[in-house]
Amino acid sequence: MNNEMPNKTEADHNKNVSQNNNSSKIIKNSADLPEFETNIANMLLDKFDKKLKIIFIKKNRIKVDVHKDNIVEIAKFINQNLKFDHAESVTGVDRPEQNEIEVVYHLGSYDPSISNQILALSTRTVRESIPNPGFDKTRLPSLRDVFYSVEFHERECFEMLGVYFENHPDNRRLLLPEDWADLPPLRKDFKIKGR
Amino acid sequence: MISKLPPGIKVEQKGDNDKIMTLNVGPQHPGSGHMRIIVKIDGDYIVSCDPDPGYVHRGEEKMAEYRNYITNIPHLERPVIHDSCNILYPYCLGVEEILGIEVPERAKYVRVIASELNRCVYTLYWLAIYGIFLGHSTMFMWPAGDRELLIDLLEKLSGARVTHAYFVPGGVRNDMPSNFEDVCLRQINYFEKRIKQYDSIFYSNPILKSRTINTGVLRQNDAIRLGSTGSVLRASGIDFDLRKKEPYDVYDNLDFQTNVLKSGDSYARSKIPWLDMLESCKIIRNALEKIPKSGSVRVKLKPNPKAGNVETYKRVESGRGSLGMYIISNGKPEPYRVKISVGSFRNLICLPYLLKGEKLGNMPAVYWSLNYWPVEADR
Amino acid sequence: MSTIAPKFRLGYFIKSLLDNIFWIIILLTLIGIPAIQVALFFIDLPVIDGELLTPFLALTWLADPSRTLPIVKTLMQTDFFKIAVFPGFGFAALLAAGTIFIERKLLAKLQLRVGPFYCGKIEGILQLMGDGLKLISKEIIIPAKADKPIFWVAPLLFVGTAAAFIALIPVSPGWVIADLDVGLLAFFAIIGFFPIITVLSSWSANSKFPFIGGIRALHQMVSFEIPLILSLLGIVILTGSLNLSEIVESQYNFPWIIFMPIGAIVFFIAMLAELERIPFDLPEAESEIVAGWLTEFSGMMYGLVQLGSYLKLYAFAALFVVLFLGGWNGPMIIPQFPQEIITDGIELGPISVTIPGLPLFTPEMLNGTFWFTIKTVSVIFFILIPRGVFPRIRIDLLLHIGWYKLIGLAFVNIFISLSLLYAGVLGPGGMML
Repeated sequence: MNNEMPNKTEADHNKNVSQNNNSSKIIKNSADLPEFETNIANMLLDKFDKKLKIIFIKKNRIKVDVHKDNIVEIAKFINQNLKFDHAESVTGVDRPEQNEIEVVYHLGSYDPSISNQILALSTRTVRESIPNPGFDKTRLPSLRDVFYSVEFHERECFEMLGVYFENHPDNRRLLLPEDWADLPPLRKDFKIKGR
Repeated sequence: MISKLPPGIKVEQKGDNDKIMTLNVGPQHPGSGHMRIIVKIDGDYIVSCDPDPGYVHRGEEKMAEYRNYITNIPHLERPVIHDSCNILYPYCLGVEEILGIEVPERAKYVRVIASELNRCVYTLYWLAIYGIFLGHSTMFMWPAGDRELLIDLLEKLSGARVTHAYFVPGGVRNDMPSNFEDVCLRQINYFEKRIKQYDSIFYSNPILKSRTINTGVLRQNDAIRLGSTGSVLRASGIDFDLRKKEPYDVYDNLDFQTNVLKSGDSYARSKIPWLDMLESCKIIRNALEKIPKSGSVRVKLKPNPKAGNVETYKRVESGRGSLGMYIISNGKPEPYRVKISVGSFRNLICLPYLLKGEKLGNMPAVYWSLNYWPVEADR
Repeated sequence: MSTIAPKFRLGYFIKSLLDNIFWIIILLTLIGIPAIQVALFFIDLPVIDGELLTPFLALTWLADPSRTLPIVKTLMQTDFFKIAVFPGFGFAALLAAGTIFIERKLLAKLQLRVGPFYCGKIEGILQLMGDGLKLISKEIIIPAKADKPIFWVAPLLFVGTAAAFIALIPVSPGWVIADLDVGLLAFFAIIGFFPIITVLSSWSANSKFPFIGGIRALHQMVSFEIPLILSLLGIVILTGSLNLSEIVESQYNFPWIIFMPIGAIVFFIAMLAELERIPFDLPEAESEIVAGWLTEFSGMMYGLVQLGSYLKLYAFAALFVVLFLGGWNGPMIIPQFPQEIITDGIELGPISVTIPGLPLFTPEMLNGTFWFTIKTVSVIFFILIPRGVFPRIRIDLLLHIGWYKLIGLAFVNIFISLSLLYAGVLGPGGMML
């Protein structure tokens, strides 16, 4: 797997290892962590340093947490330099106890060298207890200009959790009926009757 | 695409609506499936298209948050009852990962057989509807009849004709019946002979070729940019099959190849699933050879199993492309969040791009060649 | 525990029957019979065999059935019989009904299924009747913004035009409703009505899908009428006549299809397009435009359009037979009747009733009808077959076929027939005629 990695990445990796003594943010290439995925994470950490946080590294899976102000910049880097070219899904997770809504972009690639990788890019936004979708503070910058394929996924996320995506050209309802006037249904305070 | 618009035909602007007619194709329309496509036409040319799914939205993701890991099985397969094994596959893989279960070797092979059979069942159903969308009534009846063969096999295996609920976290629900291997081999041989005849009546048909070749061309970089998947992607010349790229269970032991066509038009998109069915027959035969002759097929779970504070994203290659399940657990018996990322929903975004500038008569050919299943897209 | 008729009692049923019979007898004696007697004063009764047909004479038929023969023969020579029963509507509707049944069963066999099976015990032979009853019993829904008079009248016009088409077909020597000298021109005139009716009905429905379907039908029919007409010019040139009966008689030695196969092929393809059969069923393409120009028709209005389209199917197949396959010409297979049957009659039954004057038809007529029917049915068979094999074509491809290919082929056909004429092989004064 490592042989398929482009040469640039190899060079970066070596550089990272050399810096490893000075910087604690670079993840050590220990035995239990897969090497290839660690390289990708290190490239991200090397570039953006404190702006992102690596949540976990597993086989074929990396999860990165970023602040919503930096997400477009980081997504551009991921798209252009790391060759992740499409989004597989956009998941909104409601976390009422932290008063946050987490949005996870699962980014994949059709490049043969990394096509088994999934990079989960997560960000968080404020959750309001009385939502008013589109008009309250539950907002995120849209990644549609970077990953074109998130268009419908973000529309779904908007109607299901009330996260308004700024700069999205088409923030309409997709699955729900036009006259839906209840809470966004995937929020935790929307209860199913009888359960 | 936009560049293909004939001279004199413009994409709709505000103010020049007098030439434009809006057609509501669906949801009660024989050519739409369970969705609405708002099509604007100028003469015979489509100037814009706005898909409007959601007529069969059932809130599977919300329902999954209220049930524990085992009781989620029967309702999670409802979005695609024809492909129910494949939609349960990533769920089972994910739950096994977060619960830390190792599946027995025999169960892995049984899973592969069941999911390949189910892929063929789905593809036949899809192909039947593609036939009737193009006005070819024989192509509707033949796959619908041949589908019975495989449904009988799956009924033998799981006890149900369509909604199998056969995969459980930890293996499969029950072992194969004793004579299953012989029956399966016989049926698959006949089935393979039968689907090869589709070539002569459908894929070699000159009218079909003139209708589908060079219509709705999805170029390779557009296919990547729009994040399409499955047969749509492979018809555009990208070799991406999760069974090869990220082999789950025993797919890395099996001998098969991925079908890739270069042209990216409706004809290629409709041919890829048919070629995949021939591959599926090969896989099933191969798996029947390599399967361990005896052994357990299921690891029993504790009642109400709980996982820690973990999350997982598993994906498999279903009949419609990559099918991912994102499961978040927070230590309770129920999952905190289940997100189903389906190929149909991802391919839907291609529809407005492909239909812009096409003729109205090409709409069914392009729309259904996207390997789109409205119920799955709505979830 | 039937819930269909929960209070059914046999006694009530018999009582209702008896009630009905009682009222029928009362009304008949009080109103019906006096009305008939009053009417008889004003009717000129026909004279048959030199004898005035009085009601008393008519009553004697009850005792001696053989005396009805003269009036049956007279009736058979009337225009009404020709229009309503034999070469006209009844015969055509019978063949059309047979066509629908055969189409269903044939398609089912092609597609490895059974087809109509339960209705009528034997292979679902009564399915069509069941469907007809269903269509009659259904509610007719008219769109709110439809142009109602035109919308109502369009199915009737469609059936009427198809029936007018049938009037031109010579089935057997002398058995034709309208034996026009300009028969072929009348045929061109009549098929010119179909696109107008289609566009009128689709426009008056005031709905989008019928409108698109109607426009498609207009394009299709108008562009295929031209090769249709051109492909027949060769026959007119060689026959020197526009009369359909004369065209049939001119094929006594050989059918025209031998010399004009190209014309026959062009005519056949154009015929499929005119009939809106698969692969040219664009005006009714259900996956694109619901049911095309038939979308808003419901109940028996739809049934009438279907009836009209199957009558049209029969008429076109019959025209193909008349023009290319030699019409009624064929080897004589019906034996000549023995002379004593015609003069002395047939002895029937134990009491030996002799009925002179039978049979009602001449053997030439029966033979002609036989060959005509056989040929027509086989042409219909070839019209039905593509439905199981082809998908639907697209409108631009269709127009391309019509304007570029078929018209060119039709001209080739005209050149062939002209060269045959000027070479003196065929045609008026030719070697072989």
